[in-house]
Amino acid sequence: MGDDELHISDQDLLRSADGELPASRARQARAHLAGCWLCRTRLRELEATIADFVHAHRGTLDPQLPSAAGPRALLKSQLAAAVKSGAAPWSRFLQFFLPRGAVAYVLVALVLIAAGSALLIQHFASPRSSASFLPIENAAVPDHTLTPGATRAISISDACSTDHEEVVRDVPASLRQQVLHEYGIASARADDYEIDFLIAPRLGGTEDIHNLWPEPYTLPTWNARVKDALEEHLHQMVCQGTLDLRTAQRDISTDWIAAYKKYFHTKRPLATSAMTKSIRSIPRAKSGA
Amino acid sequence: MLLPPRNFAAELSFPIPASAAVSEKPSEIECEVIRLFDQFRNPLLRYVLSFGLSVHDAEEVTQDIFLALFRHLQRGKSRRNLRGWIFRVAHNLALKQRAANKRIQAAMDDDARIVHAKPDTTPNPEEQMASGQTLQHLRTVLRALPEQDRCCLALRAEGLRYREIAATLGISLGSVSLSLTRTLARLESAEKGSRNGG
Repeated sequence: MGDDELHISDQDLLRSADGELPASRARQARAHLAGCWLCRTRLRELEATIADFVHAHRGTLDPQLPSAAGPRALLKSQLAAAVKSGAAPWSRFLQFFLPRGAVAYVLVALVLIAAGSALLIQHFASPRSSASFLPIENAAVPDHTLTPGATRAISISDACSTDHEEVVRDVPASLRQQVLHEYGIASARADDYEIDFLIAPRLGGTEDIHNLWPEPYTLPTWNARVKDALEEHLHQMVCQGTLDLRTAQRDISTDWIAAYKKYFHTKRPLATSAMTKSIRSIPRAKSGA
Repeated sequence: MLLPPRNFAAELSFPIPASAAVSEKPSEIECEVIRLFDQFRNPLLRYVLSFGLSVHDAEEVTQDIFLALFRHLQRGKSRRNLRGWIFRVAHNLALKQRAANKRIQAAMDDDARIVHAKPDTTPNPEEQMASGQTLQHLRTVLRALPEQDRCCLALRAEGLRYREIAATLGISLGSVSLSLTRTLARLESAEKGSRNGG
């Protein structure tokens, strides 16, 4: 039909009905609907399908829902218990992720397994770190076999004209889970780790699993604030033309701590970047709440 | 209180230790979690059930969601968009539970598997009389939907905005919109098919 493009697509009709169109498009759509019987009829048809679905959906599920009274009481008592046992976060953590009935029997076994695998993960994750390293410091650098870094073709002018905020989006939950999984910490809570870009997007890094690694929120020295400062510094140098973009990408992905020492000519993080150490209020890329 | 299904009653007895019958006044956060439970328990249960979990498993997952929420709030984490947060946790826990069930099921013999496989989908007399066939067609299509489309639809049916759905499933806004449009088209043709084909 020749006049197809004059009408509103099903997708936009639905977005309009759902209140998901941008304001200007919504106004256009409303004006069009007022004048067009065809589109109005189509909207009614869509709404009718929605109504049928809702009936089928609710009709199937609602009769299955048991009364909330029992589960509500159960939750209350569990909350009270959680408050009481506040001193044992590990047991609560495990309890959360295990089938409830089995907790008492397998708790000890699991703690042992967890401890064992944690050691293994540390062992394999940071072959370059010596045994004298604190475990938490191991996590400051990603595992190179898992996170070698990944880049997109980006010109200097693109890298320097794009606002950092525009570039960084939330890492999708599924990807986040994949990253945690490959690092063997699939059951980690959403807010224990930030999924960080090894090569920052403003330096051409991509949202690829090879460029993402779980960075603990709390690290004493080489934490994400420090890495932020390095990224900013490298970005500036690239944009001033004093550093080649590829060199910046290579250095930050090879060993960002070494890169920091090299470009800031220091052995320790500078006061400005280390001052607000450990916890950051606004993570750059996270999929948690 | 209704009779709990299957062995839920047996399960109930385990997690309530005598010590839990505390007389202390619940904290503000506890009250908040209970309020959110009252608000979201049924929507969450429906969403988790849509993964094909049993009512028993869905109830357990729902408890875990609110325990996680409690810890989330207790640690002073963000309260922005709690609904989105809750459904995201629900989604992940439901997937996890279903994967665990699959592992268990794979280890069971065929007889047991058959007993567990199908929920009772017999339509009630009212449905049979009115648009029984259309409903059956709809349900068939719903069961055959790709996981992502089914999740989009189920979340939208619980009132989540596209942005919240996108965050829950880790997909883009455009994907949510496309998925919903595509699914409605499928449902629509299923309805037409049932009307025309009889």
